[in-house]
Amino acid sequence: MTPTPTSHRLQRLGRLSTAAAAVAFITGCATVSHPDPNDPLERYNRTMDKINYNVDQALILPIANTYKALTPQPARTCISNMFDNMGDVWSAANSFLQGRPHDFFNTLGRVLFNSTMGIGGCFDVASKNGSKRINNDLGITLGVWGVGSGPYVILPMMGPSTMRDGVARVGGFAAGFSDSTPIMAIKNVRVRNSVMGLYFVDLRTGLMDAESLVNDIAIDRYSFVRDAYLQRRQSLLESKLRAPDDTSYGALPDYEDFEE
Amino acid sequence: MMLRLPLKTRYLSAFVLFVALACGSLALQAQSVNANQHPAAFIEAVTAQTLDVVKKDKAAQAGDRTAINNLVDQYVLPYVDFEKTTRLAAGRHWRDASAKQRADLVEAFKGTLIRTYSGSLSDVNNLAAINVAPFRGDENANDVVVRSSVIQKNGPAIAVDYRMENTPEGWKIYDLNAEGIWLIQNYRNQFSQVVNQQGIDGLIKTLNTQSMPAN
Repeated sequence: MTPTPTSHRLQRLGRLSTAAAAVAFITGCATVSHPDPNDPLERYNRTMDKINYNVDQALILPIANTYKALTPQPARTCISNMFDNMGDVWSAANSFLQGRPHDFFNTLGRVLFNSTMGIGGCFDVASKNGSKRINNDLGITLGVWGVGSGPYVILPMMGPSTMRDGVARVGGFAAGFSDSTPIMAIKNVRVRNSVMGLYFVDLRTGLMDAESLVNDIAIDRYSFVRDAYLQRRQSLLESKLRAPDDTSYGALPDYEDFEE
Repeated sequence: MMLRLPLKTRYLSAFVLFVALACGSLALQAQSVNANQHPAAFIEAVTAQTLDVVKKDKAAQAGDRTAINNLVDQYVLPYVDFEKTTRLAAGRHWRDASAKQRADLVEAFKGTLIRTYSGSLSDVNNLAAINVAPFRGDENANDVVVRSSVIQKNGPAIAVDYRMENTPEGWKIYDLNAEGIWLIQNYRNQFSQVVNQQGIDGLIKTLNTQSMPAN
């Protein structure tokens, strides 16, 4: 009997979580002298972050560097735009799920415009015409539906996430409901794998500038990225809880001032 | 790292501009800006002049440390309450610091942030415009936020907001937000972490070591 696509997905998910558990178990955990109450998984997280970092430096970064060296800037921008355009379909689906028709139609219009006038998404003509990209994803959808974010967690290979965002990401991918679903739908396995590879490489290349900035100004890379990720996700979620034309400001951070 | 996170790609690339352009824009305002005007007009004047100054200063664009420091000293400091930025980032540890430690900490933190200009001011040519949003808050309030978006020629628009306080000398910017991430908020945990382990002097030392890359 040939396995069904669903059982394939389940197998894939099973393998992923086993590998994650194994890695976490084998390596033990980093010691944290002053644990942050907002980061209960810090010991595990720092260890996984270190593993991710090492894998990245040894394997993924060299690939991204080679890609950057071999591919001219216009071609890279085109590829990046096409994946962004594909991601917009996913954003639109989530705006729909969140009951935000304005964002849904806006994003859908942007996809149609970019896919036609922008030659399959190669050129982001929508942005050039003043249409701002509306980011959205399943983690935010769950948040809008009232699911709490849960603790911060570093996913193997994928990096920063929260329990909610991680479940949305890994679960969505396994269930064939994610931003990369259009790639997974490609029938020809070799083509599919090549496109998936390009997708990863494009993402990694896009992170290079940000990475060098973080390396320059972060006192502790792990904390810096964690706090930025959590702030960014919270602010994105809050923006989805407001009406699209509501430009009011969310709560400002209330810093305690010890001026004397 | 951080694979399969397109969102993160965007917000982190926003972060590149965070200190680079946003902070850079505070950095380079001309001294002639009237700090007593309407909040949005103040930011508007500041950002418009910023672009001008950076575009003209080839040495700063090339990452020349002296040129950058000159720009910052001449144009930023009158409009930014950097002591407040540092004080809020330090939180309760500020109380335990001596006057000298406080002054050193402010200088060291400033150095860390200025350091980012050295690589990023060359990106100024990718900048199409900075659009300041109409101010909707209470302009008589003492603590306000002005929103803006940085339009790039090559890439998505980036939301940058300025938080500022009304002082006797006019508006003083003390915090920045890029795509939902506040500068001070993002340093509080790191500051606290280092102070808990190595004390305030340790933090000053860490910042200073980081701020002096081999150039």
